[in-house]
Formats: sequence, structure tokens, C-alpha cells
Amino acid sequence: MGKFTIGCFASLVGSMNLDFAVKLAGAAMEKGHKVDLWVSGNATMISIKGQRAFKDYSSLEKPLKELMDKGLNVTACEACAEARGYTKDNTMEGVKRHSMDWYLASAFDADRVLHIGGE
Amino acid sequence: MKLAAFVSDYRMTVDTLERLKPEKLGIILVGNGVYHATIKENGSASLLLNTAADFYALSEDLETRGLSSSSVDSKVKVVTYGDVVDLIFNDYDKTAWI
Amino acid sequence: MATTKLGFIVQRPPYKSENPKLALTHAIASQSVEVYLNDGDVVTADVAFIGDGVLNCLKDQKAMEQYDLSSTESHIKMGLLVDLNILVCKEDLEKLGLTENDIVLDAEEFGADLKINVVPYQDINKMMEEMNHLLFF
Repeated sequence: MGKFTIGCFASLVGSMNLDFAVKLAGAAMEKGHKVDLWVSGNATMISIKGQRAFKDYSSLEKPLKELMDKGLNVTACEACAEARGYTKDNTMEGVKRHSMDWYLASAFDADRVLHIGGE
Repeated sequence: MKLAAFVSDYRMTVDTLERLKPEKLGIILVGNGVYHATIKENGSASLLLNTAADFYALSEDLETRGLSSSSVDSKVKVVTYGDVVDLIFNDYDKTAWI
Repeated sequence: MATTKLGFIVQRPPYKSENPKLALTHAIASQSVEVYLNDGDVVTADVAFIGDGVLNCLKDQKAMEQYDLSSTESHIKMGLLVDLNILVCKEDLEKLGLTENDIVLDAEEFGADLKINVVPYQDINKMMEEMNHLLFF
């Protein structure tokens, strides 16, 4: 089994690319792979705790927590989060915050990297 | 290079995909990219399907959009998230989200 | 001791979204990644501007004056200062009616030794072949 690093820069609300990233992370973990999920830019929105789940908007807190309980490593870009007012105090339990070099370090020993940038 | 390229748009704003020249290319249609697998615009299949590549479309994203597997072009294999993981790890060595 | 090579491919113009700038800031972070790695392990970052992405390289950007934002141009110069290999597609410049005179080519004012490499797309393809992982922006 390998290590899979997924980076996502797309917003939680306003794009479905984060939904894709989380579902793919779950599928990879089911197959026994270790998965790191790096969220940067607008994707740091996923790191905020206490988001109200409406059926009209993507809401990933529940599946993300379930995957983190199974070992998914989720890290948010600290500067991107702070720029949006997402502080350490309102970060979901279990989500780490680091500078951008963390993502590169994760890619260092990853067998595969999927970077979902664009937009 | 064996490259798995993800296409998530129907109207693409970049021409990167047609310029990539890997030894092996897989195009994985996800999100709105799955329309390339089904829509016959003015009666013709998507030009993307003329690319020298193996094509895959994510079943969950087809179903989300009201598209059935039976409407998928014969060049395109319908795959699950688990299949995408296997493609990434077993069939290709690099990925590109275009 | 191992080296992992990352290729950052910028294919979209600047300022509509922050993503092209994030490509540069993430690539520049390769300079501080060692804190997470074992001694001797290295991550390198090469950056290529292709398609409309070459518009990121136009010089005399006034983002600071107009929007109080650091310009993409300044990030490119910072990339040169930390010795990133930065490639710009020659054919795409020409396609958009631009020449080397229109883009940032060096960061001499910051003391950078490296310069931007304007190269045929074929060379960028070669770079992509040589990388361990690709990150498209």
C-alpha cells in the first residue's frame, strides 16, 4: 500500500472539488493507502468547526471527521486560513495548521500526488 | 511518463491537455467533465474523445447529473472512486488536474 | 538522502483567483521544507508558465499601488532569489503578441543570480517528464 497526498485549493461552498477530494481520500483509505489531505486557499473553509449543514450546500464536516477517525491526516494552510479569519480557535478538532512547506514535505515521500488547483 | 489527467469542466479554458505528450495518457472525467462522455453537441461526440488516451468517467458524477451509463460513449469506461484510486496507483505514475 | 522534484505548472492568468500566486508561494516554500525532512533529503520546485499563464510574467505590475496586494511579478522575482528554475513558454508568449521585453526576466535588484528561462514548449514537456509529481494551477 502506498502514500497518497491530495492537495485541494477549491472552496467548500461554491465548488464540488473538495467533495471529490474527500470522497477520493476515503476510497484510497478503504484500499489501505495512507492519505494526507492538504487544503489551501479557499479550501481552508473546510477546516472551520461548527458549520451548519444545509442540503443546498456542500457540508463535509461529518465525513471528514469519520475519515480523520480512521487516520486521514488533514492539514490546512495557516496563512490562507488566517487571511480568511479562520483562527486556531475555530478550527475543527483534529485538523492541523501549518505553513506551505508542510505540503511539499508530504509530497516528498508520497507515492502519488493529486493536486486539485485550477479555477 | 504515464499521466492520469483529470478533466472537471465541460467548457475548458485551457488547452494544456492537447499539448501534453506522455508515453501513456489516461483522461479521467469527473465533475462536469463527465459531459464529455455523453453529450453529442450538434450530433457529434466531444472532440476531447479524439485524444489518443484511455478514457474513464466517474459513475457517481454521471448519476448526480442525471446521466446513465448507457449514454456513455463506447470509448469511455465508467469507473467508481475506488477504481480511480487503482488507476492512479497501478496504471499511471503522475496526475494532472487540468 | 533523497530528492523529490515537484513541477508547478501555471496555466491561467493572474489576479482572477489567487491560485497562480499560490503556485509561486508553494514553490518558494521548497526552501524551508527541510524542517520536516531528514538530513540530506531535499524537495526541489521547478515552475513553468504555459498558455495564458505566461501573462503572470508581465512586468511593471502595479497590484500594490492599485489593490495593496503584492504582485505576482514580485513573487516571480522572489522565486528567482531563492534559485527556483522558472520556465516561460516561448510559443505562448509569441501567440499572445508578447516578447521577452514584456516580461520579468531577472531580479537583479534583489541580488538574484538566476534568470527566467524563455524556452520552447518542448523543453517544458521535458521538465514535466523529469519531475516526480506535477501540480497544475
